[in-house]
Amino acid sequence: MEFDKKSLLKLGKLARISISDDKLNNLSKDLNSILEFVDQLKEIKTDQVDPTSNSLNQKLEVRDDKVDTKNSAEDILENAPEKEMDFFVVPKVIE
Amino acid sequence: MIEGWNLVIGIEIHAQVNSKSKLFSSSPTDFGSKPNSQVSLIDAAMPGMLPVINKFCIEQAVKSGIGLNAKINKKSIFDRKNYFYQDLPQGYQISQYKDPIVGEGFVEIETENGQKKIGVERLHLEQDAGKSLHDQDPNFTFVDLNRSGIALMEIVSKPDMSSPEEAVEYVRKVRSILRYLGTCDGNMEQGSIRADVNVSVNKPGNELGTRCEIKNLNSFKFIHAAIVYEAKRQIKLIEQGESVNQETRLFNTQSGETRSMRSKEDAHDYRYFPDPDLLPLTLDDDWIKGLQESIPELPDKIKERFIKEYSLSSYDANIIVSDKATSEYFEDVVKNRNPKLVTTWVTGELFSILNKKNLIIEDSPITSKQLGELVDNIENGKISNRQAKEVLEEMCESGKGALEIIDEKGLSQISDENEIESLVDNVLNSNPENVKKYKNGKDKLFGFFVGEAMKLSKGKANPKIVNDLIKKKLSQ
Repeated sequence: MEFDKKSLLKLGKLARISISDDKLNNLSKDLNSILEFVDQLKEIKTDQVDPTSNSLNQKLEVRDDKVDTKNSAEDILENAPEKEMDFFVVPKVIE
Repeated sequence: MIEGWNLVIGIEIHAQVNSKSKLFSSSPTDFGSKPNSQVSLIDAAMPGMLPVINKFCIEQAVKSGIGLNAKINKKSIFDRKNYFYQDLPQGYQISQYKDPIVGEGFVEIETENGQKKIGVERLHLEQDAGKSLHDQDPNFTFVDLNRSGIALMEIVSKPDMSSPEEAVEYVRKVRSILRYLGTCDGNMEQGSIRADVNVSVNKPGNELGTRCEIKNLNSFKFIHAAIVYEAKRQIKLIEQGESVNQETRLFNTQSGETRSMRSKEDAHDYRYFPDPDLLPLTLDDDWIKGLQESIPELPDKIKERFIKEYSLSSYDANIIVSDKATSEYFEDVVKNRNPKLVTTWVTGELFSILNKKNLIIEDSPITSKQLGELVDNIENGKISNRQAKEVLEEMCESGKGALEIIDEKGLSQISDENEIESLVDNVLNSNPENVKKYKNGKDKLFGFFVGEAMKLSKGKANPKIVNDLIKKKLSQ
């Protein structure tokens, strides 16, 4: 899979990351080398295998509907770069 | 709705599962708590956290599917829906894409032209996002993650509705079914049910028009208004020779207008893929069967039964069964009583009191037992309908029982024929002129005699007996 500049800019936009022109070349080279590496997986034939199957025959773990409050607002906001009145504060976003 | 145009409407309902804890974490789901006080490390998407699914939420989704007459999928898959937004800490929402837990079903709604089947495409489980507040500060957005990770059921309809009324009926019906099942509390003010509405217009015989999606409508009134506005907007565009752009729009509840939020070109590319943190969800037949057997009687069935057992009209039955609490209240009162009388008192007088006080039936100041006692006293002729209204109002204010008020006010109706006969005689004897005129053909005077007799009894005489006796005496 070839990752061209257009796809890279689209990915950047979706992730809300601005990519400057001078970084485009290097980034696209890096990403392509990662993809090339991962592409080796394509050598294995998987068209008869379900995307989510696993070899351990496990079932999805479930839990009961029980409340367990582990953190206070203070805990959860501890790493927030900006906070006010118990809210996370981010640059104005209007959609 | 608009002459010469077809309307095509499809709806996605987001219904919050009535669970105590979140879909993939044990944080509480209480409404209105202090900001960010119900957020676990999973909800805040701290690195290394793993989601573990809430069994109760799976059950509620399957129950809802059964209530929507839908196919239950024994294998379903959780996918990541990727988008970048400040109230979505994971950077993706865990949802279900190709393999939802519930497949096709339908609900029946009442329309002007009788019953109509509205198809349900699917129901799937997903996480809610956090909440962004844009109006707290001119330069910043505030984020509260309490809602982040709460379980939602997204119910997708087929584009089977063709008027704003049908759309509202459909949402009402789905809400009612979920409330009967107890899978969602249906509280629209608190956002437990939100609807995204897809609208397109076309000329009869032509192919379907381009649709627009109006996001996040949280009341029946707004759903109706948004569809009316959007249909008119699209028709106007087409009539002016322009075309409708496929886009997502927002409804402004103040102005009643919709405005563009994002166009198709800017539409999200969600890059769905199966969530590697979660294995496929498999359900076994016995477990599904057990749930099927636990499903309570649903509104369509109750309506059928009320019509058969109590001879209610389809209209009255519909009003009563549309809300679970109302149908339970009605059944409490109607047991061993006259259904017609009970229907009138529940849907008429009681509803008007509740409306006036802006109360729901669960908070009714008159219990079903108290209303039953009042109806008993009407049925056995102790008080008239008119007196009963007075008693009901007094019951509401004082909280006293019907009998107590009847005794206190000396309201009880005179039903003793001898007593009423002497009243009637008194009236007829003291108005010989009018009796003569009546007998000579002035029929209208009948009401005068009844009025006089009622006045004489201070309104306590049983009006039916008064009527009968006067008729009898005057025809002698």
